[in-house]
Formats: sequence, C-alpha cells, structure tokens
Amino acid sequence: MNAPTGLGALVSLLIFPGGLFVLANGLVFEWIDRKLIARLQNRIGPRWYQPLADIIKLLAKEEVVPERADPRLFFALPIVALAGVLTAALYLPIAGRFVFSFPGDLIVTVYMLSLLTLCTGLAGANTRNRFALVGATRTLTQLFSYEVPFFLAMLGPAAVAGSWQIADIMAHNSQQWLLFIQPIGFVVALIGLMGKLEMRPFDAPEAETEIVAGALTEYSGRGLALFYLGRNVELIGGLTLVATFYLGGIHNVLDYFLKTGALLIVLASLQTLMTRLRIDQTVGLWWRVGALLALAQWLVLIVIGEVAL
Amino acid sequence: MTTGSVPKRFSIPIGPQHPALKEPGHFDFSVDGEVVTGATVRLGYAHRGIEKAAENQNWVQNLYLLERICGICSHIHATAYCLGVEKLADVEAPPRAQAIRVLIAELERVHSHLLWLGVTAHEAGFDTLFMYSWRDRETVMDILESLTGNRVNYSANMLGGVKFDVTDDNRKAIERGVNFLETRTRHYLNVVTTDQVFVQRTRGVGVITREQAEQLGVIGPTARASGVLRDVRVEAPYAAYRDIPVQPVIETAGDLEARFVVRLKELFESYRLIRVILEQMPPGDLNVRMPRRPKAGEAISRVEAPRGELFYFIKSNGADNPERVKVRTPTLCNMASVLVTAVGQQLADVPMILAGIDPCFSCNDRAVTISKAGDATSAVWSWQQLRQYSQAYYRRRL
Repeated sequence: MNAPTGLGALVSLLIFPGGLFVLANGLVFEWIDRKLIARLQNRIGPRWYQPLADIIKLLAKEEVVPERADPRLFFALPIVALAGVLTAALYLPIAGRFVFSFPGDLIVTVYMLSLLTLCTGLAGANTRNRFALVGATRTLTQLFSYEVPFFLAMLGPAAVAGSWQIADIMAHNSQQWLLFIQPIGFVVALIGLMGKLEMRPFDAPEAETEIVAGALTEYSGRGLALFYLGRNVELIGGLTLVATFYLGGIHNVLDYFLKTGALLIVLASLQTLMTRLRIDQTVGLWWRVGALLALAQWLVLIVIGEVAL
Repeated sequence: MTTGSVPKRFSIPIGPQHPALKEPGHFDFSVDGEVVTGATVRLGYAHRGIEKAAENQNWVQNLYLLERICGICSHIHATAYCLGVEKLADVEAPPRAQAIRVLIAELERVHSHLLWLGVTAHEAGFDTLFMYSWRDRETVMDILESLTGNRVNYSANMLGGVKFDVTDDNRKAIERGVNFLETRTRHYLNVVTTDQVFVQRTRGVGVITREQAEQLGVIGPTARASGVLRDVRVEAPYAAYRDIPVQPVIETAGDLEARFVVRLKELFESYRLIRVILEQMPPGDLNVRMPRRPKAGEAISRVEAPRGELFYFIKSNGADNPERVKVRTPTLCNMASVLVTAVGQQLADVPMILAGIDPCFSCNDRAVTISKAGDATSAVWSWQQLRQYSQAYYRRRL
C-alpha cells in the first residue's frame, strides 16, 4: 500500500477519506446516535442538521477565556485534540481506504485516539473551575480504567495476525469475523469504546446533575466546537477500529457504512438501557471485570495457539 | 444549617443556579476527593411573600393565592386552607364534596409521585426512565384536566365544598387511566428493584435510620421509607379519609431504594383509594353556604401532601381578611436529613439524595434572616439600612 503523493495526497488528507469526509461523517453519526436515543426514549429527537447547526453556532460565538487559565493552553488543547483524532483516522480504513499505513500504526492510532481524552482532562485542569477540576479528575481516572482493557482487546486480533499493522490485521481476518472467534474481546472493545466516548453509563466525567459539563464547563465558542468535532471523529475512528478488527474488516464504502452503522445502533441502544455509574463503580467495573475478561481472552488465545502449533 | 467538618478542603457549590436544581437553593458540599465531608444549605432564594399577601386579601381570594404556593401539589394547599377556614366558621362541607376533594388529592399524589420518579431517575442519569414516567404522567394530567379544566392549578375547592361534580364520563375516563397507570407502575416498581445498574446507585445509598428519622423530624414518604409511620391520612384522618381508611406503606431500609419503593407502592394505594371513592361516591350537594367572615379564632389544619405533612395555621379576627396565615411545607422538615445523610457519601450520589426527599424550594421559602456565626447583632434591617447596604455593595462592585 503506497502513500499517495502530490494532489492525490492533499485530497486524501483534506477531503476524502480524511479531513472533511470524516468530519461530515462524524456529524451524521452524532445525529443518528442522538436521534436513536431520543426515539428509544420516546422523544422526537433533533432534526438532521442539528449537529451541524450546533457547530456553526458555537464557531460564531465569542470565546471567553477564564481568568487564571493559561490562554495559550486554553486555545491549543482543542486544536491538538481534534488534530490527534483526525490523524488517527488517516491510519484507519475509513470508507474502506487507508491513507497511510506502516508497521506499528496500530499503536499510533490507539494512542492518537486517547489524545482527545487527555486534552479534555488537561483543559479541565487548566480552566481552574471547580466543576471542571472534578470533571478533569474523573476524565483522567476513567482514562486509566478503560484504556488497558481496551488496548488488550485491540491486541488480541493483532496477536492472531502476528502484526502491528492495521492493514495486515484486516487482511488476515477478512475471511472470518473475529466477533465469533474472540467474542469476549469484542465485548470489551465495544464497552471500552463507550468509556472512551464518555457514553452512558460511563458519563460520570460530564454528569450534568453533579458537575455541570465536567471538564469542558468553561469552554464556549470555538474551543467547545472543536472538542465536539473531536468527539465525533473519535466516534468514527473507534467504530471503524472495532469493525476492522472484529467484523471482518472494511473493504468498500457500503461495507463501511453497514458495519459502523450497525455498531452505532448497538451503542445507542446500550446507552438508553443504562444508569450513569459512579466513578468508583466505573473503575471497579473495568479493573475487576473488564481487565480480567480481556486477560481471559488472551489466555484462550495463547492456549489455542499452543495447541494449534 | 451546616453539618460535618467546618474547615473546607475543596467545596462544590450546588446552586442557586445549577443543572441539578430546578428551583433556586444553595448547597455547599466540601469534598475530599469524591467523598462529601461537610454540607451547608441556604434557602430563601424564592421567597414570594405569599403569607403576607394573604393578610391583604379576603377569605375567598386567598383560596386562589394559596393554591399557587406549589405548582405540583396545588390542590392540597387549597384543601388545607378550606378545611381550616371551615373549622373557623363551624361549617362542614357535604360528604360528596369531601369525597371529591380526596379524589383529586389522590390523583394529584399520582401525578406528583410519577414526576418525582422521573426527576430522581434523571439525577441518577437514567433518562429513559425519566422520559417514560413523564409520558405516563400525562395520563393523570389529562384526567385532571378533563375533571377540572386545568392541568396544574385545578381550583377545585371552594369554601364550603367543591365547584364541580364527577360525571359518568369522568368516572369512565378515570377508571381507564388508572388501569393503564397501574400496569405501568408495576413495571416501574420492577425496574427500580431489579435493574442491576440502577440498584447499584440506590441500594444502601443515603440511608436515614429509624432513629435519625425520628430525631430529625423527617415526614412523609421519606419517613415511611425509614420505617417511621408519619401519615396524616392515617394519624388524623380528614375529609373522606375518615370513611375510607388508608393502608400506609412502610419500608424499613431507609435508603434511596426504599424511597423509590415507598412512593411506587403508595401509587397502588392511591389507585385503590380512587377506585373506592368512585364506587362509594356519596350522593348529595356539592357545597354549603359559608358566612362571609368566619368568627374570630384560630385554627390548625393538617393534611398529607404528596411530600408529607402540610401544616396550616389560620387566625381570624372576624374581619374580611385573615389576620395571619402560616404555612409550613414538608420540604422544610426533610431538608435537615439531606445534610446529615450527604456526609460520607460520594459526590455523585448527592443529587439523588437531595432529590430523594422531593424538595420544593419555592413552596418552602419564607423570609430568612441571616446571622453570621458569632455575630449576635440583630439581622433585621430597616429600609434605610438596606438602602445603605445596597449602595455600598454596588459602589464596591464598580
């Protein structure tokens, strides 16, 4: 797989499948998520252009920098967060096409996908708001709880394929769906994705009834819009990653929309069923159950590997 | 009022404006990490001067004023006032009127408890239950509207009786609605006691022991969830409750789950009462003639609002207007329990503990005098002092 050059590279980076396409796709998926949850909760839900309208409104608004916050960090963090997840999207088969690929890109991608959470936590700590501080603490606490099981769940398919390159792993399991071979890993990955995206029941970091908007309480205007966009791109990236590894890979545009869309429906349904967990319950759940499950999956893989050899 | 340790490490202010509060109130929770170590409350943001206004209006006008103390349990305020004034005037409303009063009070309890279920589920982040319970609450709102013409301030009472009758059409609509709500309530009771994730947030959280409940003077469903039987309908029956005894619902656990269970089981009791009243509706007049001015004297009237005991003290000097109307709403009695139970709990549980007593701030707010700790000087200011203070305050701000 050769990296594109010249005009082709610019198009792949900025328009399709990177850049604009990912952003637009993110807005559409956000709408599907919101609409589905609303319908499942017996509400009407937003109109199709609502996520876009939110972003436009936020971009047009004045951005208020809180006193005592470091303004450079305040402006830089949302940009870094969005840049991180957009970069991650380049190494993923968004719409069935890799822009870049190199041995070991799995590690880079998973790290880039965590950058948003890290930036959110730092942003909360930087603004020195009490709610934001509690939110930031919770965001980072949660990061340390779901990240390890999620990573282990990502490494399962990698171990089977014997490669750290996403394209290789996808090629290796395009014949069979790992969902059926490593079901525990799939469940951990999917639930880990909900933790990453701070979806219910893992939305303690932004629990509105306790700490207003969590780490992003002081953000308004452009910074908030960029964080929202970043979250949408992370949704796309996470869904694509899970579909690539566990649903037999993504080979064309139709394949992409079918598989990520199906996963999105599952996520939306799970969100409506759940009550928000307290942060101590979240941590307990991940370390007592999530990590153990991921390790159990590994044990199974190793035993099967030994037997097969 | 303050509980727990005084030196604050890190305090989380909740209110006067906060997404968890639908009305203004101020709470200050000092926390150590996620654990609450101290709690302070300040009430009085929504003081509306209703008691004072009641002294300037005549006996009939007050009916409409006092009904607007609470937007959720409006009928029970009017009932308490009517019963008190009728006591002063030595008049008793006819049995049919008493039955209709109780019928509407029970429908109102259904609406209030369903509303509470949704709000408290929302505080826990269980929005699905919130949306569904509020959808089903529309059924009882529609019934109330078809009965009285209004969804909130029904204006059903008048001094000496009630304003309207229950027709056969109403009776059928109520029976249909109650049957539907009964199946839904059974479902909700099942959800709040068996949903594993939800139970994790309620079981053993915010426990008020029986001793604490008695010591703090907790009332209403909150007390009944702690094993204390406090229900005016049982202890001192009024209106039609004298003929139709209420079977109180008691739970002993005292935690949030018990508060959910008590309120949901009380709904079944309300459905039963509604059916019994519709069956045994006594015939006769809807009201009797009231004198324009009740005799001079004092009357106390206690009724069971959805949140607990509602207390009215009414004093008449035989004039067109009452001399004094004092209202004590149940929220005030239960507020202390929030501060006591919040200490030692996780911050995440605090909104639920607060919502667990079903607080209604603006019903509860009266004029407050604030005295700083250690400062014994009078906190009642003259108009002149208040003016000086406000001018100095804004000069400082500029």
